[in-house]
Amino acid sequence: MLQGLRLQRLPSVQPGIALAMRALAIAIVVLAASIALLVAGEDPLALGAQLVSATFSSTFGMEDFGLLVIPLILTGLSVAVGQQIGTWNIGAEGQFLVGAFAATAVGLFVPGPAWLILPLIIAAGALGGVVWILVPTLARAFVGVNELITTLLLNFVAALLVYYVSTGPWRDRVGMSNSSTARITVEMPEFWGLIHWGLPIAILMALAAAAILAFSRWGYEVRLSGSNPSAAAYAGIAVRRHIITVMLLSGLIAGVAGAFELAGTVHRLQGGISNNFGYLGIMVAVLARNSCVGVIFTGILMAFILNSGIILQTQGITTSAVLAMTGAILFLTAIGDELAHYRILRAGSTRA
Amino acid sequence: MNATQDRYIAAPGTAPLVQLKGIAKYFPGVVANQDVDLDVLPGEVHALLGENGAGKSTLMNILTGIYQPDAGEITIDGYAKQFATPLDAIAAGIGMVHQHFKLVQAFTVAENIHLGWSETPRLASARKLEARTKALAERFNLHVRADARINELSTGEQQRVEILRVLAREARILILDEPTAVLTPAEARELFKALREFTSRGNAVIFISHKLDEVLEISDRITILRGGRRIATHDTSDCGPRMLARLMVGRDIVLADMRQRPPGAAPRSAEPILRLESVSALDDGGKTALNDITLDIHASEIVGIAGVAGNGQRELSHVLTGLRRIASGRIVVDGAPIGAGDAAAFSELGIGHIPEDRLRSGLAPAMSVAINAVMREYKKPPIGSGGLYRSGAATLLAREIAKAADVAVPDFAMPVRNLSGGNQQRLVARREMRIAHKVLVAAYPSRGLDVGAINTMLRYIVELRDAGAGIVLISEDLEELLNLSDRIAVLYEGRLMGALENDKIDVEQIGLLMGGRTVRKEAA
Repeated sequence: MLQGLRLQRLPSVQPGIALAMRALAIAIVVLAASIALLVAGEDPLALGAQLVSATFSSTFGMEDFGLLVIPLILTGLSVAVGQQIGTWNIGAEGQFLVGAFAATAVGLFVPGPAWLILPLIIAAGALGGVVWILVPTLARAFVGVNELITTLLLNFVAALLVYYVSTGPWRDRVGMSNSSTARITVEMPEFWGLIHWGLPIAILMALAAAAILAFSRWGYEVRLSGSNPSAAAYAGIAVRRHIITVMLLSGLIAGVAGAFELAGTVHRLQGGISNNFGYLGIMVAVLARNSCVGVIFTGILMAFILNSGIILQTQGITTSAVLAMTGAILFLTAIGDELAHYRILRAGSTRA
Repeated sequence: MNATQDRYIAAPGTAPLVQLKGIAKYFPGVVANQDVDLDVLPGEVHALLGENGAGKSTLMNILTGIYQPDAGEITIDGYAKQFATPLDAIAAGIGMVHQHFKLVQAFTVAENIHLGWSETPRLASARKLEARTKALAERFNLHVRADARINELSTGEQQRVEILRVLAREARILILDEPTAVLTPAEARELFKALREFTSRGNAVIFISHKLDEVLEISDRITILRGGRRIATHDTSDCGPRMLARLMVGRDIVLADMRQRPPGAAPRSAEPILRLESVSALDDGGKTALNDITLDIHASEIVGIAGVAGNGQRELSHVLTGLRRIASGRIVVDGAPIGAGDAAAFSELGIGHIPEDRLRSGLAPAMSVAINAVMREYKKPPIGSGGLYRSGAATLLAREIAKAADVAVPDFAMPVRNLSGGNQQRLVARREMRIAHKVLVAAYPSRGLDVGAINTMLRYIVELRDAGAGIVLISEDLEELLNLSDRIAVLYEGRLMGALENDKIDVEQIGLLMGGRTVRKEAA
């Protein structure tokens, strides 16, 4: 039987098959988690129903869920944008943190009316993200240093910087808090319930990025440079310049995510404000196959998974379980992406 | 040959060390070897001469057990052998030094010598391995520094390590693939001395090369391969460079002369439209790849660039199309100098480029047919104006190019790599012809294509010439060059030799130039 079959590797993957592989990966992980819950003496079906109802049938649930969607779409977009030119921005986490840090600086120390300060906060966040990815960008563009490592390592620097200022010089002395700054005076206006305008803006940013990539000359050049740099050079495209702009843009988006999180959701800088959003953004982008429109949907999916983790915690199940689930989904998706290249042939039906 | 005093003279009736009889090897659609006989005697340096694709490498891969022959016999030292794996061939005393060394850069010389060797002592200290290496080096009289890391060594030293590694495994037959390609003349002399010493002990060397001078200098006998078959075997003392050149490249050339212009074709211009003036350029590794090249290209003419690949062809096509900066000299287009290294400027001036490796540099394989087809015109209306990229207009243009190229594309959004090689090449050619108003640089345009597709490609090139463009045709195929070119120059080690009018050329002369003999030297 088995000898009658053989595998053929296809050079390109059909998008439909790749999406099916993602759905399959999620299904396998949900199934595995259900079995684990069953073994632990829980009822997975009841828990699942509870997750859906807790998230979608109450305003509270929807608000919590919506607030998670915003940073996940943006960090996912940040990674997906970087991938357009073939760079891996593993540092969305750090850029997010520095974006939040810069936004806090403006929020705490620049007096002025809200209509002026709020745009300034967001601009500061964007600038913070750009500054944090600047050195990895230049190192990659001019010396060929792998951005994967440089962006990753700067995450730890950013995390320590935020811990330092929020427990040290910027500590909230009035509120006697030891672990966060004072609440900033301005905040993002609300859009629906507790969900702030970051949500529609994040979705618009993703749509705008997709449109620019598809319908502008710049987007054409970036896509070509990402797909085959030597062909782009052959076509006379300044590949290095595009690498720089795209990487800086990737950092900018992550920085804006940090500013939104600060000004819209948390309102004060504290260690751990990034909540791993930067790392989860990598998953959001991978699940979306680096499609800028796709990250809207996979961002929502990832928010649901995260939110489920928080709800499950109230049932006495550790959040590590959810982290393990997200890791398993990413792992299976990577395998699925490779498997999507193969087609099973019956021997004799075609000849090599 | 002045080395006769220490020549090893085999006793009469001694069996050849290597005897290949009727070797054949077929690959899908290609005859790599057919009816090849080869005798290698103890004590001789036997040169294997032939163009690229003549079947030298396949034959040696069979002798070293990498390929199994489809027909024929291998006899080593009088015993029939079958090599299932390279290890069998090594056990039979056959060792090969490849053109690209197979050394671990981060390991020391001693470690590389002992890597994957059954006689390597288990649990040996570095010092012990180095001592063993020193002993081996003395025994074979090949000076190496046992404790040096490979990446600290010059290419000549690395080659010595490779040779020592082979000899340490008791090889009696040493195969060297283009060994001098990476060496300086002094290193080459050292190598030749070592080879002489090796053969003087009754061993044999098979020396693969296309350089006539060095083959004449080092070898005792020469076997010439062409088109996968053995053409002749001669004693080197009976050979001269002219004769070898003729044997190597002198197939019966079918003169399907495409040089005739139809009535109404654009005339060859008096002034060059593109001119390289004493241009030198470096390769990617920073070594000089082009040396003081001066070349005129006139409108409506085809200039053929002959030569064995790797002599600067890649860099020449890059310089001509603005892909590579030049180290010195200048490039003049229509009388005005142009800054090198700006591919966009060159293509806007009307210089098109069919690159040697279309999938690596001429196309983005994973991107759609449409995106690839418009690579040269996406900035112009109707596709690009006001910073936009109109994909509808791009598909329309792609459709037009595909039609001209006679390529049936079911879906312009599918990745271009789903097209066959011939279709990709025609698509690239048509795309480039649209912008090549002045010059088209075509590097190996028929490489990897079947006969029909080759004909189409050559027809395209003639068509463009008749429309008034100057064409630089870089090729290894002499037949193709002779049939198309108005003038032919030969590129050898980064220098351009002679740009001779096609009428005044004979094949032997080109063969000599390709082998590094200058016309002047030959006349003297």
